[in-house]
Parts: sequence; C-alpha cells; structure tokens
Amino acid sequence: MRKPFNLAFCPVLAVVFLVLRIKVKNAETGAAVEMELENENTIDEVIESAATFWSKDMGAYVLRKGKKVLRGGSSLSDAGIRAEDVLELIPDPEGG
Amino acid sequence: MPTPLKPGAMDDDRYDRSKRVPWLDIESISMARVLMVGAGAIGNEVAKDLVLSGFRKITIVDMDHVVGSNLNRCLFFTEDHVNRRAYKSETIAEGLTRLSHEAEPLAVTRRIEDTDRSVFNDHEIVLGCLDNIAARLHVNSHSYAAGKAYIDGGMDGLVGKVMVSFPPSGACLQCGMNKSHAKVAALRFSCTGKDVVFHEPRLAAEITTTSVISAVMVREALKIVSGKTDLLLSNAFYYDGQRNVSEEIEVPLDPGCPVHSRRD
Ligand SMILES: [Zn+2]
Repeated sequence: MRKPFNLAFCPVLAVVFLVLRIKVKNAETGAAVEMELENENTIDEVIESAATFWSKDMGAYVLRKGKKVLRGGSSLSDAGIRAEDVLELIPDPEGG
Repeated sequence: MPTPLKPGAMDDDRYDRSKRVPWLDIESISMARVLMVGAGAIGNEVAKDLVLSGFRKITIVDMDHVVGSNLNRCLFFTEDHVNRRAYKSETIAEGLTRLSHEAEPLAVTRRIEDTDRSVFNDHEIVLGCLDNIAARLHVNSHSYAAGKAYIDGGMDGLVGKVMVSFPPSGACLQCGMNKSHAKVAALRFSCTGKDVVFHEPRLAAEITTTSVISAVMVREALKIVSGKTDLLLSNAFYYDGQRNVSEEIEVPLDPGCPVHSRRD
C-alpha cells in the first residue's frame, strides 16, 4: 500500500493533535491517495495538496463529500470530515 | 374571436411542436429579455438554442474577434469572419437574424466590466458564457445585486458544469469557489512589476460538450421564464462527457460570501 500523503508534518504533533486519515479520489483518473490530516487543516489545503500530488495543471478544483461541495475555508472539523471519509477532487471548468 | 381552424395550420406554426410541451410558456419566452455575456463556443450554442426556443430579445456582450481556432465548435463563425476579424457578438447577432426573422439581437462590443451596470437591471435572465473566473465573479455579483437569475456554464474538454443562482434564495457562483479559483483568477492578470500580463490558457474544447452544457443552460432559462422555478437546478450540474454521466451536487450558501452581504 502507498504511504499516506501526510499533512500533519511533524510526528510529535501528530501524537498531540488528533490525526485524521482520509482518502481523496481524483475524479479525472479514478486514482486515490490517503492523506493524514489534522482537524484544523482546511479544505483549501486538502485541495492544494491533492492537486500538487497529482501534478494537476493550474486550474480550479472543488472537493466534494458525497453530493455536497465543501467550502474552501472550512476546517475539516467544521466541514464534518471524519476518519475514513472519502472525498473527491473534481475540476471546476473555466472555459467557455 | 378565436382564430378559425384551418387544415394543416399546425404545420405552418413555427412553435407548434414547442407548444406541445405542456409547461413551455411561448408567449412569455417571446417577451423575455435575455443578457448573454460571452460569445465564444457556449455563446454560439446558447444563442442558437435561445432563438430556436422562441426567445427574441437577446443582448450579446463580448469584445473579442473571431479567430481560426474557434471554428471547430462555433456554429455562426466562418473563415470569412476570421479573415475580416469580425466581432464575435456582431457575428452571432447576424446569425440569429438569419435563423429567425423574429429575433431581435443586440450586439455590444465591449467587455462586460466596461458595460454600464444598468444592463443587468434591463434583462430578466443573465446567461454566463464566459471563459474566465474574474468575469464570472463580476457577472455573478452584479446579477445578484440586480436580483436577476444567473445561469453560468463552463467547460474544459469533456467536462462541463452549469450553475444557477436565483436570488434571493440559495448559493451563488462565488459560494462554490475556493483558493484554487482565486489563484487562477490572479494568474490571468499577473503583474510583472512593470506591466500587467494577460494570461489566456488554451483549454481543450470541442462541440459535443459545448452542446450539452449550452442546452442545459437554455433549459434552465426556459424554466424560469415559464414559471417552473420549482424545477430549477438548485445546485451545480456536473457533466462528464467521457462516461456521458451527469449529476447534481449541492453547493451550500457560504455565510461569508460577500455577494449576499452586499444585497442584504
Ligand atoms: Zn454567494
């Protein structure tokens, strides 16, 4: 299994703060990556990390949980994200 | 006095088949004033669908000229328009009058940001056929402030999205945006220290996704004008043309969104 992509950078802090392990799926390719996060991480940070991990082109993306788009500035706890949740990164198309 | 029935008359009526859709209000559709911002690929398709659906009063705002790379997906553009650098808005307006003698298009060859904001008050529905986030945010906030429905369409290759903002209820386009949108918008106008550089990404684009997204946009406009607002997309409609699947995803209203506080 792939090593989880870790946003809770410091292992000591990871013990002190609650570490949340979630899965993020790439809507364009079907690929998935596990991420280790803290409750205080934001949806914006998850979007940026996942887009960077998949070397996505510069573009707008949203993160959804089920049938709902998650607000960028929300912390994971405010967004109601729990361990083992599966989120999906989807492109927000800009062209016309 | 009712018009006397004549054999075969239904085949002379341009809108006979439309009138057979029970909830379509052809009379209201013919009277509605529609503002179409952007005259690219989505603009071509939306304009065509609007006029064939019975809309007549259509204002088209765009300051670009037709170029060769538009020709794979733009019904009204030809090589002749490319050669004489015709304005996109004027070219679509001309095309619409060929499509129907009842059409009354008005072309505005200006950026929407440079157009008097009263234009939003003068129309019942705003259709965003734009190609950048900054212009979308501008149209979104002004439509909302004017209390007008804003139907936004976007696409990238085989992926497309439509969102309907229907003030004063529900989320607006900006509610569904995050830092990645801000980054893209900022990149579009990057400052070199000396000058502002206009960065225009060349996104993948083809006609079939354009047609689907434009059709969904015009369908939403038809619902609004026909009083079928209970059937409106209350959220974002996402289309994946690769698998030919679509779904509606909820965009919650952001209490911190400046668009709503401005109106309140
Ligand atoms: Zn909003």
